[in-house]
Amino acid sequence: MTALYEVSKLSVDLLASGNGLCAQLIQRHLTINILQDIDISIAAGEILGVVGESGSGKTTLARSMLGLQPVSGGTMCFDGREVASRTDFSNLRRNSAFMFQDPVASLSPRMKVGALVVEPLVIQRRPMANAAEKAKELLERVGLPASIAGRFPHELSGGQARRVCVARALALNPRLVIADEPTAGLDVSVQGEILNLMTGLKKTLGLAFMIITHNLAMVRHVSDRIAILYLGRLMETGPTREVFARPAHPYTRSLIASEPQPDPRKRRVDLAIKGEIPSVLARPPGCAFHTRCTLAQQRCKEESPLPQSLPGGRTVRCHFPEQQPSTT
Amino acid sequence: MSEALVSVEDLSISYASEAGDVQALRHANLEARKGEVIGIVGESGCGKSTLASAFINLVAPNAKVTSGAIRFQGKDILKLLESQKRQIRGRHIAMIFQDPMMAFNPVLPLGEQLIDFQEHRHDVPRSEKRARATAMLERVGIPDPAYNLGRFVHELSGGMRQRVAIAAALLMTPEILVADEPTTALDVTMEAQIIHLLRELRSDHDGAIIVITHHLGLIGELCDRVYVMYAGEVVEEGRTEDIYHNPRHPYTKALIDCDPAHLDEPVAFLPTIPGRLPDLVALPSGCSFADRCPIVQERCRTTSPRMIETGPQHRARCHEALR
Repeated sequence: MTALYEVSKLSVDLLASGNGLCAQLIQRHLTINILQDIDISIAAGEILGVVGESGSGKTTLARSMLGLQPVSGGTMCFDGREVASRTDFSNLRRNSAFMFQDPVASLSPRMKVGALVVEPLVIQRRPMANAAEKAKELLERVGLPASIAGRFPHELSGGQARRVCVARALALNPRLVIADEPTAGLDVSVQGEILNLMTGLKKTLGLAFMIITHNLAMVRHVSDRIAILYLGRLMETGPTREVFARPAHPYTRSLIASEPQPDPRKRRVDLAIKGEIPSVLARPPGCAFHTRCTLAQQRCKEESPLPQSLPGGRTVRCHFPEQQPSTT
Repeated sequence: MSEALVSVEDLSISYASEAGDVQALRHANLEARKGEVIGIVGESGCGKSTLASAFINLVAPNAKVTSGAIRFQGKDILKLLESQKRQIRGRHIAMIFQDPMMAFNPVLPLGEQLIDFQEHRHDVPRSEKRARATAMLERVGIPDPAYNLGRFVHELSGGMRQRVAIAAALLMTPEILVADEPTTALDVTMEAQIIHLLRELRSDHDGAIIVITHHLGLIGELCDRVYVMYAGEVVEEGRTEDIYHNPRHPYTKALIDCDPAHLDEPVAFLPTIPGRLPDLVALPSGCSFADRCPIVQERCRTTSPRMIETGPQHRARCHEALR
């Protein structure tokens, strides 16, 4: 299967800027490395889950992929064609959509839902015979009644606001939707509705999704493949089912083991992972994870591991990955 | 079984609004005993935040207590004078908030605030209060506590802030610790660490811990007993084990089914609860869950169900609870 969106060797550096002119002058040449060597591909009609803790660079990755964040290295190809210039990204944005983390904050408080859902069409100057009719059609597709078109964002519930964001994302008939924490702050029953809506759209419209989240339990059920990000490095990628069944990277294993279990019989006694994610300003040498890794050896402190391929389309970036049984 | 440390009896609270009174909490009964961790779980609009604010006597100005009481040390704490309420708040009943950033003063070093939290100990010199604060930070797992006492809240990460907030609450040696969504703002690895910390603390803390959350994972990991709330009512109560493995109320069952964490095998479509929460201004005459209930009967739409005993320490507000 050819990739719809392929990112290879992507890296992003930010200029360190303090507060005030002095700090800026002194630190002019100081750069902070946020992402490095990111290889990700999303196939048409596939849901890719990108998982990581706060500060792992998930949102920066999404922003770079849509040209909202300047990159310092690597290539990105959409549909086989490289995207690099501003014009390329403008074209890309016609075929893709971004769902921001906070749905209410990403909807203009002074526009009604009807106008909000067709706004992408207006921005892209797409011909639209009847805006009200189009809005109704889009709202219907995400399971909202047409009457909601006359409401303002503050009159919506959390779940409805998310649906409006999905409708907006669908307006341009995109081929790829990047969703940043699409279910943060929602009740579990509503979370299920939004995710089922996305899975349904994937099936009926052949849409590809990239879902950015730190909710493992959720991503496990909706994504086809997952990518685990830690401090701007891709730790592990592969088909979701395989990664959950046999996590190769110690970080993936501790993430899975950290997930709280609703079943009191499965209560954990020990702590799977100690300490906190280090700051990007004080990136540990060698493997980024060695400060929290229970299996860390001397080599991990000195030498940064390279990504290695495992059977079944998986990759892992670890000197001592869990041995995988030969492909089934 | 030890005696209840705090008990909520038939408590109803409503908020005045333009459309009429919003009945946020209706005839809630619950109790927390010494040495126990209880959980209060429910989705948005179930009344758990109203209940949390009632525990520390900080109900909103437009809230009316229409019935019931919260009994603590033989008194109804809702009927005390403001000065008496202040005596209890913090010192006897302390709270850990969802957002620890908001729980601290941004322009004072944390150490100063941790000393101020011990204000009620008039006989203790300031140096000793500082020493206690340092020891408490150490206890909750803050590295280099003496240095961190001089820092400001914005300088700490989310997980560290929540640890300091827990330390602040414990410094007041309260009998009752109320934790409102203590891990919602945290990453999964930090959440696991805070759960671990709270679990350790229950051995040194001889009072009761009340955890208020929408997250079943937190309940499963931490609580001995659970109260499940829906539309302002306690719909089921029991030991965590019984609630999870043998839920008697259809809402509890639906809530557990919705949580993707309980599914061992990946599924294509996640279960949801169809329908919406009833309007809390104009509640239906029968069971408030009737419109969304998969096993609804005729009488559910007309008669409000009572709490029915379904087993030892296990009760559910459902006509069909014994089926």
